[in-house]
Amino acid sequence: MPIHTIYTLYKDDAGEVNVERLLSLLVNPLYQDSSERTQLDPARGPIVEIAYRPAVTDPETPSILAGARALGENGLEFARLSRRYQFVGPEEAEARKLAARFLYNRIVERVREPGEVVTTLRPTGTPDPVHSISLAGLGDKELEELSHARSWYAPLSQMKAIQGHELAQGRPHTDAEIEILAQSWSDHCFHTTWKSLGLLKRLSAATARINHPLVVSSFKDNAGGIEFYEDWVVTIKGETHNFPSSIAPFGGIATKHGGVIRDTLGFGKGGYPIGGSTIMGTMDPRLPDADVPAGALHPQLIVSESIRATAYYTNPMGIPMMHPVYRIHPGYAKCFALGHSVGLIPRQYAIKEEPRPGDVALLIGGETGRDGIHGATASSTGMTGETLEKEFAAVQIGHPITERKFTSAIPVLRDAGCVRSITDLGAGGISCAAGEMGAETGVRVGLDQVPLKDRSLTAWEILLSESQERMLVAVPPEKLAEAQAILDRYEVLHTALGRFTDNKRLEVFWHGQKIVDLEVSFLWEACPIDATVVAEPRRELAPLNIPEPTTPGEWGEAVRRVLGHYHCADQQAAGSRFDTTVQGRTALGPFGGRNHRMPTNLYVSAPLRGKTCGVITTVAFNPFYGEIDPAAMARLMMIEAITKAVVAGADYHEMALCDNFYTPRLRPDVAWDLKRMVETIADLSEQLGVPFISGKDSSSGTMESAGRRIDVPPTLVVSVLGRVPDVKKIVTKDFKRAGNKIVLVGRADPQQLGGSVYADSYGQRGDRLFDAYDGVAIREQWDALLRLRREGVYLSGSAIAEGGLMLRIFEASFGSGLGARIDLDVSVAGRRDGLLFGEFIGSALLEIAPGSESSLSKVPHYVLGEVIEEPRLILTEGGRAIWQDFTSSLAAVWSRTFREVVE
Amino acid sequence: MSEATTAILYAPGTNCHEETAAAIERAGGKSALVLLRDLLDGRARLDDYQAAAVPGGFSYGDHLGAGRIFATTLVAKLRDQLVRFLDSQKPILGICNGFQVLTEAGILPGRTPGKRSMALIENQSARFEDRKVRLLVSEESCMWTGGLAGQVLEMPTAHGEGRPLICEPGSPVPVVFRYADAEGRPTLQYPDNPNGAPEAVAGVTDSTGLVLGLMPHPERASLPAQYSQDGLKIFQNLIRWLQD
Repeated sequence: MPIHTIYTLYKDDAGEVNVERLLSLLVNPLYQDSSERTQLDPARGPIVEIAYRPAVTDPETPSILAGARALGENGLEFARLSRRYQFVGPEEAEARKLAARFLYNRIVERVREPGEVVTTLRPTGTPDPVHSISLAGLGDKELEELSHARSWYAPLSQMKAIQGHELAQGRPHTDAEIEILAQSWSDHCFHTTWKSLGLLKRLSAATARINHPLVVSSFKDNAGGIEFYEDWVVTIKGETHNFPSSIAPFGGIATKHGGVIRDTLGFGKGGYPIGGSTIMGTMDPRLPDADVPAGALHPQLIVSESIRATAYYTNPMGIPMMHPVYRIHPGYAKCFALGHSVGLIPRQYAIKEEPRPGDVALLIGGETGRDGIHGATASSTGMTGETLEKEFAAVQIGHPITERKFTSAIPVLRDAGCVRSITDLGAGGISCAAGEMGAETGVRVGLDQVPLKDRSLTAWEILLSESQERMLVAVPPEKLAEAQAILDRYEVLHTALGRFTDNKRLEVFWHGQKIVDLEVSFLWEACPIDATVVAEPRRELAPLNIPEPTTPGEWGEAVRRVLGHYHCADQQAAGSRFDTTVQGRTALGPFGGRNHRMPTNLYVSAPLRGKTCGVITTVAFNPFYGEIDPAAMARLMMIEAITKAVVAGADYHEMALCDNFYTPRLRPDVAWDLKRMVETIADLSEQLGVPFISGKDSSSGTMESAGRRIDVPPTLVVSVLGRVPDVKKIVTKDFKRAGNKIVLVGRADPQQLGGSVYADSYGQRGDRLFDAYDGVAIREQWDALLRLRREGVYLSGSAIAEGGLMLRIFEASFGSGLGARIDLDVSVAGRRDGLLFGEFIGSALLEIAPGSESSLSKVPHYVLGEVIEEPRLILTEGGRAIWQDFTSSLAAVWSRTFREVVE
Repeated sequence: MSEATTAILYAPGTNCHEETAAAIERAGGKSALVLLRDLLDGRARLDDYQAAAVPGGFSYGDHLGAGRIFATTLVAKLRDQLVRFLDSQKPILGICNGFQVLTEAGILPGRTPGKRSMALIENQSARFEDRKVRLLVSEESCMWTGGLAGQVLEMPTAHGEGRPLICEPGSPVPVVFRYADAEGRPTLQYPDNPNGAPEAVAGVTDSTGLVLGLMPHPERASLPAQYSQDGLKIFQNLIRWLQD
């Protein structure tokens, strides 16, 4: 399908524009053609031209104008870009349908009709006036209907509270005020679900009791932070963007990254992002079209668009990818889309101040548009077949160049003393950021100067817009001029919105009219929390029924099932599209080994250039375990994430955790699971002395489709943020030398295959998990591993997770060019396939020099076999090989699954 | 006498300037981060520097073409300073997006601002490629690779538009780096050759051997924590040259 790019240039009446001269800007004649007339022929098939809507500014426009001015073409007043697609095959109507589905976002773009006369390219449009909305006298049913029709999605109790407030203040609310209340009180912003269960404070209370000496900031700021070395602090935040990513994956994922990166920029007085992750849970992308629930996008589209969007956003941001992880579960009709951001900030700037009366509220970054209206409220509701249509506006558009500019400028502003406080504009836009920052003081802002990319925006839309790439800074008044000069140098737009006050009110003005006047206490303290009924769920679990392999053919089949499973398979087809080494801080990226293709399951950064002290991060995410036992899953995710870092050589006394939950919409049984999960990890964190410092919950993982309810599996991703004195001492999993012994250190129970990849490859889940470590036992295990590491006993190592021993042995061989012989006669009772494929979370696979087995005497361990020179894997029993294969042929199976999905 | 300083030119969207500065410093040199805006507004001058590096990133979002707006601005607004810089035989390094800027500006390979003779176009895979590559040094006469000919250097590469298209009629372009396989031979095989570069070209110089452009990132293979230190050799050559 040919794609042509059209530039429409508009000059002012007086000006002259020399198009010839502009050509060097628009095309490179060495590989591009240009013409003033279309080269497409309508006879070959329908032509569809996509352009931004008249009210909307093209992101490229400023670049074109700047380039034109540099070339001396000052007569150019405006420029627009559009794309013309020629479809070969489909009829006109079908072509337009395809374009609407795949080629443009109708919130900001449209089809430009042939022959359309252009009178101006400048954004035009007229906003609606401000309205008052009275809830007086409305009954319950009417309140609920109104809440739904206006996309507030506020429960009845909140509607009644607003109704009562109207009565008390003696005037109806403006549309802007109700919009602010609805979004500020949404589950997304206010965590009403967690509050009703008493969970919001549970983890932070555990962290407070641990009182860890390294914790600098936990659960208060936009991210959590721990002491690094040399007066630096490192931070972590994980943020999900499940709803937008489900209905418009490209925009949803791009802004997932943009948003969580701004949490780093908005930490303390402004952090700097040094690493990111993308963690996706979808339905199986190989699903036949007919099995995709009505109203949901095909998971293949979600996965491939998410990869494209992650590359589109994080590469230009110049932030190395730490963990690209893709998982599947049939419950992810509403997908799971998590991103992390890890940051670096000087210790002295790690705690923000409260704004003081008189401080300037300075809006910086991009222009405000219609994108992302109702993101917070729509995210907090479930998803139905109609959501895709109705709430498309909730999806934001991301422009990484805009965010990149203030990413460079913020540390300069901070170091110049221009930042009293800083936060990002995310859910709820200006109203949320200003309202939160001014919660202790009050704030008065005007909207007239807000730079708009859409002229038809009305007041409440400007206030609520979730247009990306914007931050709010509280600037001491005497520093305003300096701040503005810095922002000008870095080409960052800035607007003084107003000032912080001392009247504890949120006041907003627009065209001379006061459109919001709310006491901040009502905004932040008056939200009614509905009581939640909790009831133990009834799970329908069946024991596994999987025949144990006996013949070489059956063993080969079993190994291939596991290595080729989506969760174990090579995901470099996605990973190699993300920059893993930018910033020059990467000591160990997500892919390593001799061929740089072996998954490391680690990311190690040396953030202070020239030094070798490091930050280590790991993640644990398993969508299968939660189906069997959510609380055990939660515990296992903590143990898995920490064990991954400990095996690599990181001390668990020097790390902190980040949690990200994704659970179905609240029902009594869901509440039960959620409560158990949170209590379990809070208790375990206290037992281990490893604190959670940051987290996020999403309780909207339910889709209603064609009368069927699809719930996400109870999901918790735990990530580790730790520090290590020397990145050069990190241990990786690739085998080091033929003749070395391969040892399983820790506990093993080959009978427990529940929730494993192996079981899933048979379409089974099982009824029990391997859950062998309590807090005391796992600390003993980690202490033993750390001692072994200090003594230099093991040369390579990896923590057991999905795919069990087999996946690790394969990867360690593949990454080293060596092979392994594994003896299935080890002295552990139970299934032989269970030994190979069991997921003994907490245990580790280690490579030790021959003769050093005695150092393991105090630790439970099993010698499994040895590293061999030849690149093949051999399983033996009773001294006889029962199966063997070359790593290269196994690698072919391992690398095919995911590649076929995304390419 | 003031120490020779390398200007690291960066613009909105550039994102490898700090590590490029770190690599130059580790090689024993001195560098200064110079914002293109400051050059345009007269707060900084190229004349004050003895060498220049244009680092990687996505300058101006790579709108209209990778490196194009940066290059257009350099050529149209800073032509005099640029020509003086070239005429004084001062070295210039372009890494990744910086290489794209130098070719879009006509500085590489022809040293003629405004006259393009080489382009870096979309990778053959049509995707961004993040890889670790081996580079066979094939040119002795380039200042940046003096004494390294025949060596294989390991460093990361990460770009979406890095496939060279050379359209210099007559004079052949001096190729400095070629993507190499595990045996150190130039290769067309993906992913050792990550972008489908014809003749495995990864980096080129100009007629003087003072201007170097390459897609891979030597600054990401220069510091002690990084997996390779091979990139440092390129920066060390610059510092030696500046000291002589």
